[in-house]
Amino acid sequence: MELPQAPGWVGLVALALLAAECGGRSGEPGVARLRAQLPEEALGWRAVDRGELYDQESIFSYIDGHAEVYLAYGMTGCLARRYAGPQGEADVTLDVFEMASPADAYGVFTYDRDGERVDVGREGLFRYGWLSFWKGTFFVSVTAEADTEAARAAVLELGRSVAALIDRDGVPPPLVGELPAGGLDASSVRYLRSQQILDTHLWLGEGEVLGLASDTPVALARYLRDGRSAHLLLVDYPDQRRAERAAEALAGRLLAGSPGGGPAVAQDGRWHAVRQRGARLVAVIGAANEELAAALLADAGFPQGGG
Amino acid sequence: MARRANVITRRDFVRAGGGLAAAGLLTGVGRPGAWAEGEPARSRVVLIRRQDALGEDGSPDGRVLHEMLNDAVSALLEVAEPAAGWRKLIRTGDVVGIKTNAWRNLPTPAVLEEAIRAEVIGAGVAPGDVAVDDRGVRDNLVFKRATAFINVRPMRTHHWSGLGTCLKNMIMFVPRPADYHGDACATLGAIWRLPEIEGKVRLNVLVMLTPQFHGVGPHSFSPAFVWPYKGLVVGTDPVAVDATGARIIEARRREHFGEERPISPPAHHIQLADTRYGLGVSDPQRIDLVRLGWSEGALI
Repeated sequence: MELPQAPGWVGLVALALLAAECGGRSGEPGVARLRAQLPEEALGWRAVDRGELYDQESIFSYIDGHAEVYLAYGMTGCLARRYAGPQGEADVTLDVFEMASPADAYGVFTYDRDGERVDVGREGLFRYGWLSFWKGTFFVSVTAEADTEAARAAVLELGRSVAALIDRDGVPPPLVGELPAGGLDASSVRYLRSQQILDTHLWLGEGEVLGLASDTPVALARYLRDGRSAHLLLVDYPDQRRAERAAEALAGRLLAGSPGGGPAVAQDGRWHAVRQRGARLVAVIGAANEELAAALLADAGFPQGGG
Repeated sequence: MARRANVITRRDFVRAGGGLAAAGLLTGVGRPGAWAEGEPARSRVVLIRRQDALGEDGSPDGRVLHEMLNDAVSALLEVAEPAAGWRKLIRTGDVVGIKTNAWRNLPTPAVLEEAIRAEVIGAGVAPGDVAVDDRGVRDNLVFKRATAFINVRPMRTHHWSGLGTCLKNMIMFVPRPADYHGDACATLGAIWRLPEIEGKVRLNVLVMLTPQFHGVGPHSFSPAFVWPYKGLVVGTDPVAVDATGARIIEARRREHFGEERPISPPAHHIQLADTRYGLGVSDPQRIDLVRLGWSEGALI
């Protein structure tokens, strides 16, 4: 038997590596592999089924009205399993979403960042009976229908068990790392690629203005410096032309002019600025004063008078 | 000198306007209340609450809900007897679709659906000419030949539209609801202009027995974010009904979070249903709110 020629062989290796990165094993989706390994019990909460698998079509039958959030981050599969509580305790629901990439798993995790940090998976958060974390290409949610002390312990135990089944950690997308550190409210950092998702975090007015799509990663964060706040938005476009168009459109909406100048103040007293260089768009939105807007621009690599 | 920017605030999106509503484009009893020529339209909305609307286990009391519904209809249409009110809403020979909401975490109570159905039949509609449905409305034979709709659903926060409202409840009439999710569901009002719906919605009942004021998690629900408000908001104008419900949710969010936590994304489909689609009145100053029953904790 002959080995495949180099280019094809290299391609197969690359595909295998990609599958491994996505959590797949033996050609199975990652969520199918996880289903076979899930614990049957967590501190007295026992599985009532073997776990249902959903794809990009059937997910609508499971998550009513919210599935688009996961599809916006390239969801490839979902595993859902219920655990019945001991006498007097409500059920716990485990949902594992397999996303297109670790960046997307991170992104969908940032959709809701309320809660207290817990040591489960990557950046685990707990609030109101709900645990969420991301790891590798997975976003994991464990929800107790009633937030009792025992249920909380079971939720955390189940979460830890699932996290241990996911080999790869994954890293946050590089664009998020470019958010300036000074005054950054870490719990406000969002990563997204869609206008609908952006709308839920920062409302820029009616209609789509940034031309966001699956090829336009966005990092958004709130800053607090000396008691004054602002939002900073970074968008990477695949080419300069799209970045220019978006900058023109956003400046037309927020500012009384073109992008590139200094910050401008709105009638509500908040300051905005829009800059673009190459394929990168940077916007400061709703800064409490001009100095904060200018400082954030500079820290993002767009100093006053710069390109 | 600093440049002046355009005004972009959330308040811009809650501005009220007469729009097409002032032109009286709505038909039947669904239009805003009568107004003198040149005066902006006004709408009448009933907020009814009862402490005994929910049982000790939190489940809705069917008898009490039926009474609340009838009291609201009587007050809304300014008649002494509810039957007279229902006969203003529904005519003998109508075919009636009761558009409910089956969202598993917070569905329209079955006892309320049944109360509406009983009143519709009592108004002279044949039992075979009334149906209750949500996701199946496009295939439901009664809905397909409906001459009238009663629109009933619980109020809750919603990921795409900010709020799940009476206006949004008609989204199941379109083949691809996701087509209306863009721009925070700005175009929901257009659905009400579709021929199969326009002018047919005779009554809107926004169920606020245990409204949801915040959503978390994949299923967008936590018992921590509902509260026993024990109310119904009832009107013929869906915009006025939703605008009133939205004020209650906003007030509850302020109360709960201890700060301004605007509904996100903003539920601007309510205002746009007024200003862009002329479906009713969103300005609280032009909504005549009739309050009935329990007043403690009404929030508005």
